[in-house]
Amino acid sequence: MPTQFRRHSRVGLTVLLAIVSLVAVGPFVLMVVVALTPRLSPTLPYAWPSSLTLDNIAGLLSTESFLRWTGNTVIYSAVSVVAVLLSASMAGYVFARKRFPGRDALLWSLLSTLMVPFHAVLMPSVVIIQLLGWADTYWGLIIPTLANAQAVLLLRQFIRALPDEVFDAARIDGAGDWRIYWNIVLPLCRPVLGTLAVFVFLWHWNDFLWPLVVAGGGETSTLTVGLATLEAGHLTLPELMSAATVTGVPCLLVFLLVQRRLVSTVSFAGPGR
Amino acid sequence: MRRLRELLTVLAFLLPVLVLFGAFRFLPMLGAAGLSVTDYRPGGDFEFVGAENYAGLFEDQYFLASLRTTLTYVAIYVPLILVVALGTALLLHSVPWGRGFFRAALFAPYVTSLVLSGVIWKWLFEPAGLLQDPSTVLPALAIVGVWKGFGYAMLILLAGIRNVPADCLEAATVDGANVWQRFRHMLLPSLRPAMFFVVVVETIGAFQVFDLIYVMTTGGPVRASYTLAYAVYQYGFTYFEVGKAAAAGLALWAIVLLVSLTQRRAFERNP
Repeated sequence: MPTQFRRHSRVGLTVLLAIVSLVAVGPFVLMVVVALTPRLSPTLPYAWPSSLTLDNIAGLLSTESFLRWTGNTVIYSAVSVVAVLLSASMAGYVFARKRFPGRDALLWSLLSTLMVPFHAVLMPSVVIIQLLGWADTYWGLIIPTLANAQAVLLLRQFIRALPDEVFDAARIDGAGDWRIYWNIVLPLCRPVLGTLAVFVFLWHWNDFLWPLVVAGGGETSTLTVGLATLEAGHLTLPELMSAATVTGVPCLLVFLLVQRRLVSTVSFAGPGR
Repeated sequence: MRRLRELLTVLAFLLPVLVLFGAFRFLPMLGAAGLSVTDYRPGGDFEFVGAENYAGLFEDQYFLASLRTTLTYVAIYVPLILVVALGTALLLHSVPWGRGFFRAALFAPYVTSLVLSGVIWKWLFEPAGLLQDPSTVLPALAIVGVWKGFGYAMLILLAGIRNVPADCLEAATVDGANVWQRFRHMLLPSLRPAMFFVVVVETIGAFQVFDLIYVMTTGGPVRASYTLAYAVYQYGFTYFEVGKAAAAGLALWAIVLLVSLTQRRAFERNP
């Protein structure tokens, strides 16, 4: 289509796109500016800060609760990435490469869970956590969120598309399933595992409802829960925006680093939870 | 014997996923139905009460109002995100340069959390008082939801636009079709499957709007943003009526299913 517009309308479209893009990223810029505004000086929208300071963010990072939320979020995201990638690639391998009774029915029933709104299973999930004695523990926070049907599907599709010869050759050489999985499937899946890792990281880093109800404001609260708590509290605006910045910047940085690959595969991974 | 060993290997590979899905996806589905006919409260017994929770929901005027509020939100959010995503996808496709840069900028809000979006936009909306007025609170929430979420729909639609052969569009231009005609008769028909996908996914998401409401309005003002998903949370974690919350959650599931099926039939009727 680029060829079908005249020169002046192309300039006009670019200007329009620039304005829309500014609306998309502008709020982040304002957030960071307010976060860097010195204490007791007027903030936006009343005045641009005359100088910038990291004091608000440093002060926030020296409070015990905020550090704990940050640590919990890192644990929640990192452990989930490793566990989802391992469990989903193991399942993906047998769904893609093995014949066994009930295989397709099982895959479909896993996928059918994508159609269930999380609020429909929220109460029973919490009751199960309580009966297990996992309320406000890392077990309760992490393990139930590892059941990830999108990851299983994505890896199954990828492994199915790998050339048969690789698997035949390995079998002739006498490799068993575990060896094939570890030495062939995982290395060949590296690109898709990388993309999936980013998505799983983002889903867990940004997850709110599950940490909210499992931790109940306790020891295992994450940054999103903490930020929502701070929003309802009595912080100054620069302090609140500092908390927002610390919560959001890791996601934006990860996105910038892997932007091209992420954008080209977004349609597989779906909108998340 | 060999087949048995083979089967055991398969089972071993599937074990983590089977346990996770069994305990935390399928068991909760059954549990939801079970809980919804008890009057369980945290620490109490599971006493059977029949359909009492469901009856209670339909006598609760706030619950009935939450259905209307949720539908209103969906009716604002879904068309808005479709228009914004389609508009930005067309713009991205049309500009001669800087496409990668603009695409990254437009997609950026999608990778952050709804809580973060809520915190920023609550502050941005403050001078205008949009969240304090019952008549503007739902459109304001929908704007934030669209701002946060349109990047995903935009990429889906952009992929759809790329599937339209460039030489067909060029031939149409040579034959004198203007921009609107090319859009209406060439792009739009081939975008239908992608648009249908976006509508279904975004509708399901919009019915579950929760994070933004928790952070920005807590259901107010005067319950003008008290949605179904927020009601589930309130029943369960403010009033500790676990059975009623489970029943409300199942009602949400039923509505989402019903709407998805209706959309599918509408799409299949006019392909």
